[in-house]
Amino acid sequence: MLPLPLANILHHKLRSALAMLGVAIAVCMLVTLSGLSRGSLEEIADRWQAVDADMIVYPATWGENITTVSGGGMGDADISRILALTAAEKPPATAASQQGVASAGDAALDANRTVTGETPVEHMGETPMLRTASAPAKPLFERVVPVFIYQVAIGKDRHNVVGVRPEDLPILLGKNGFDAGRVFDPQNSFAQWVTQRLAKQSDEVIDLSDELAKHGGLEMVIDSRLARVIKAKVGSNIHAAGHDFTVTGIVHEGGLARGFIALDSAEVLFNGRLGRYTLLFAKLTPGVEMGQAMQAVRATKRLTAVGTSEYRGMLQQQFGVMYTYVDLVNLITLIVAFLFILVTLYTMVIQRTREIAILKSMGASRGYILRGVVAESLLLTCIGAAAGIGMSFGAGWLIERVKPLLTVTITPHWLVIGAAAAIVGGTVSALYPAWCAMRVDVIEAINLE
Amino acid sequence: MTRSNDYILEARGLHKSFGSGPARVHVLRGLDLHVHRGEFLAIMGPSGCGKSTLLHVMGLMARTDEGSVCIDGADVSQLGESHQAEIRRRQIGFIFQRFNLISVLSGYDNVKLSLAIRGLGSEGVQELLQSMDVAGVAFRKPGQLSIGQQQRLAVARGIAHNPAILLADEPTGSLDSANATELLGLLSRTNQERGQTIVMITHSDEAARAASRVVHMRDGRIFEHA
Repeated sequence: MLPLPLANILHHKLRSALAMLGVAIAVCMLVTLSGLSRGSLEEIADRWQAVDADMIVYPATWGENITTVSGGGMGDADISRILALTAAEKPPATAASQQGVASAGDAALDANRTVTGETPVEHMGETPMLRTASAPAKPLFERVVPVFIYQVAIGKDRHNVVGVRPEDLPILLGKNGFDAGRVFDPQNSFAQWVTQRLAKQSDEVIDLSDELAKHGGLEMVIDSRLARVIKAKVGSNIHAAGHDFTVTGIVHEGGLARGFIALDSAEVLFNGRLGRYTLLFAKLTPGVEMGQAMQAVRATKRLTAVGTSEYRGMLQQQFGVMYTYVDLVNLITLIVAFLFILVTLYTMVIQRTREIAILKSMGASRGYILRGVVAESLLLTCIGAAAGIGMSFGAGWLIERVKPLLTVTITPHWLVIGAAAAIVGGTVSALYPAWCAMRVDVIEAINLE
Repeated sequence: MTRSNDYILEARGLHKSFGSGPARVHVLRGLDLHVHRGEFLAIMGPSGCGKSTLLHVMGLMARTDEGSVCIDGADVSQLGESHQAEIRRRQIGFIFQRFNLISVLSGYDNVKLSLAIRGLGSEGVQELLQSMDVAGVAFRKPGQLSIGQQQRLAVARGIAHNPAILLADEPTGSLDSANATELLGLLSRTNQERGQTIVMITHSDEAARAASRVVHMRDGRIFEHA
């Protein structure tokens, strides 16, 4: 026997299909919008967390959230400060000892650059912190990677392009390697040329940006996702920041940014001054505890730090209002969808009062009538929810095809929420029509023409 | 509570009115009726005399203003809605003038639904439909059946759960004479073979002749036994 609720759904095909479509759209929106908003942010967080560093160091004056920072707020002296921090940190005692520390910090900076094959640059004369002559010199950080972050338009969208020394690029890529090509300016030739040029005492005014192309400064590595979007391959030209960059390599997506250029190029192009960085990625010396290092960085007063894993929380905090907005839109959509179900079922009850009266004349209890209406609603909403979940996968696929830089992450969590919302909404929407059905006057209804 | 085994169904001093104020219509005016077990009773009377209202009250689908309805000697008119529904499920079957089959279900499913509401299985449905000569069309929806077939299905639905009392509200009212004769034969057979008590409202003298007893109603009272 075909159950009466199912028979009614099959009999009123168009109305049932429209009701299911309403639920499907609502569930699809819920799952897709949540997947889109959270997916895109989670993808950014994943990329930051992929960086092979333990800590992000930045100026303390920038506050607690660095998700939107760019430009040059830090200098070489900050690198000196960080590299000068040791496990036996002590508070500064005298100006004389601070002078000694400055030298140690500068030496460490030079060592950092020497390790990476870079020519040491002139320090700015700032006063790095703190190392007493008597303390055992176990540095807290084994490596510091300065980056310069700037947002530029590439193709139709704006992207973070990160300036980094070529030898530091693997740190920013984490486990993601090159799909094709090579790193930008592998010999650091532009940096060397700049260093030599600045060392020359000359009154000649030079425009460094004009010199970029001549000395390998206009090379860029992009990630595979951006390459797909802008249809670029190794050797392609990309117009960005008023210059034509040559794509020298394509790295697998998942690294810190969509585009990477030489650190000095970024400084020249976006800051007009060398020796300035947006932030530092710092890698702890093995055996050093994160808390200890964090405390030491914060003790410098000028600098502060967060773990790379904390970036995700910052991002969620920064864009929390967007989640609220998306959730609100979803809620309104669900309410509208279930009002639609309510009206559909109410109409059904009004149109089927005679049927309900017949059931009552046969002795159907109030509970039986209630269950019938709720079952019909649940059938509509469950089929609609299943279709909506299917549609959300389709919508996710479509969004990523049309806007490949967006990420739609459909998680089981949101699928469960979508299904639960449909079941709860379907049940609640059915209650008023069911109540009306239970109150149908048998005699009046059964005598209806 | 008074019990009597002589009557399966009794109406005692029934009063029922509709509307209020000057528009109030007093339909049943102290009506008394006693129906014997296994009886086939026809109730006749002019339109508006309260025949259908009496049937609805005795079938526990409407409440009285005064008086009582007894089934098997027990006053059931004051029971709550759920208890009355329980009595309808177990002891009463209805046949309506306009059949009132559920249009989205096949004839077969209409009969099965009636049994399902009563918590009964579908054993014997096929035999019942064969005895009503509608087995061949039982899987069609009511809209695809002739008037006569629909009414025979309605009878099958009304008696499928083997109720003690079958209430029929002008069951031949929508049928031509051939179908009406056939239906009356079915009801008589049901009454005789199953021993079910039948109370039938009718305008038709021919239909009334199928009954074992006929009573007449006028102005909300039973006034004549024939």
